[in-house]
Amino acid sequence: MDPGFGLWLFAVSLGASALGGMLGMASGIFIVPILTMFLHIDIRTAIGASIVSVIACSCGSASPFLEAGLVNIRLAVVLETTTTLGALTGVLLAGIIPTAYLFILFALILALSAQQMLARRGETAGAATTADTWGWAGALRLDASYPDRGQRVEYRVQRLPLGMLLMYGAGLISALLGIGSGVLKIPAMDTALRLPIKVSSATSNFMIGVTAAASAGAYFLRGDIVPAVAGPVALGSVVGSLLGARILMAVSNERTRLLFVVVLVALALQMALSGFGLELGGPSE
Amino acid sequence: MSKETVKAPQPEWLLAALLRYGTWLASGVTGLGVAMSLVGVEGTQVIAAGVALFIALPVLRLLVMLGAFILGRDYRLVIVTTVVLVTILAALVIGLSFSKPLAH
Repeated sequence: MDPGFGLWLFAVSLGASALGGMLGMASGIFIVPILTMFLHIDIRTAIGASIVSVIACSCGSASPFLEAGLVNIRLAVVLETTTTLGALTGVLLAGIIPTAYLFILFALILALSAQQMLARRGETAGAATTADTWGWAGALRLDASYPDRGQRVEYRVQRLPLGMLLMYGAGLISALLGIGSGVLKIPAMDTALRLPIKVSSATSNFMIGVTAAASAGAYFLRGDIVPAVAGPVALGSVVGSLLGARILMAVSNERTRLLFVVVLVALALQMALSGFGLELGGPSE
Repeated sequence: MSKETVKAPQPEWLLAALLRYGTWLASGVTGLGVAMSLVGVEGTQVIAAGVALFIALPVLRLLVMLGAFILGRDYRLVIVTTVVLVTILAALVIGLSFSKPLAH
């Protein structure tokens, strides 16, 4: 591969990741469409590169959240039992699913992300002081507290089995498409578990690394990860996510949000067209 | 209000340090490989090592958590963490059993 292409991959990933970070979104969702549609990289190679960048971004951004006491590490590891199981299922399915369906599934996830961004995420009403699910959450001591404006706010984890089921789906999609699946984790954590928004964001980001490690490890050993592509993409994503977090405050307004919705919808349409094109155009592996 | 009195030392700070310096190390190795390729030296194996470090980092983080739960005699969480590690191991075994030569 042309070494200059590596520099190009680095720059593109940096841009995508910085833009994603500005809106508090994971960059993974942009990496695969950009690599396949603009740089004409095979979708499986793109997914392999993207999943490594998902790990890199998760690990690279976790420390400040851990130090601030926002990550519920006990809950994270409990939910990781099903996210990694989902990832394992995804690894098994990835070899069987035709490329065209991967494009179409990706288009659906992009459309879902656009819808979620449009709906704007709010603090769930009546966030969790009642203790209705004492069973699992109690036995595993998952209820905790987090610091907010100098005070400790206690919260309880609700409906753990439902949350774990949704996390299985998130792990599956993450492995199949090489994304962090924030779009599926956020509803699981906000709606099923009813976590405070800060805890849910920090814990979700912390979990993504382990979920992605299961699929990335399998793809790496299987030989589906091309180092010359995955390396520059991961590096660009880490640098981009650090930059994006810094400009988050400055530009996050209504207009950029709408711009992103438009970009997501456009990418969704393009991916869907590619998918149906492959479907109709016969074999083009 | 129940204050927990019996609690292991908080592993958060250890995990934060591991992930911070681990990311630096993996990025450094990957960057070195990319730079080698740019100046015309064969760097693919170095990049592959960097990528492998990135993938290993979350697994190390689970091992640190396992250690913390063992020290805290939190046996339910020890079992939970072991289940996650075994699942990842199973994924690796599946990957290996379908392995093909490293692509360039």
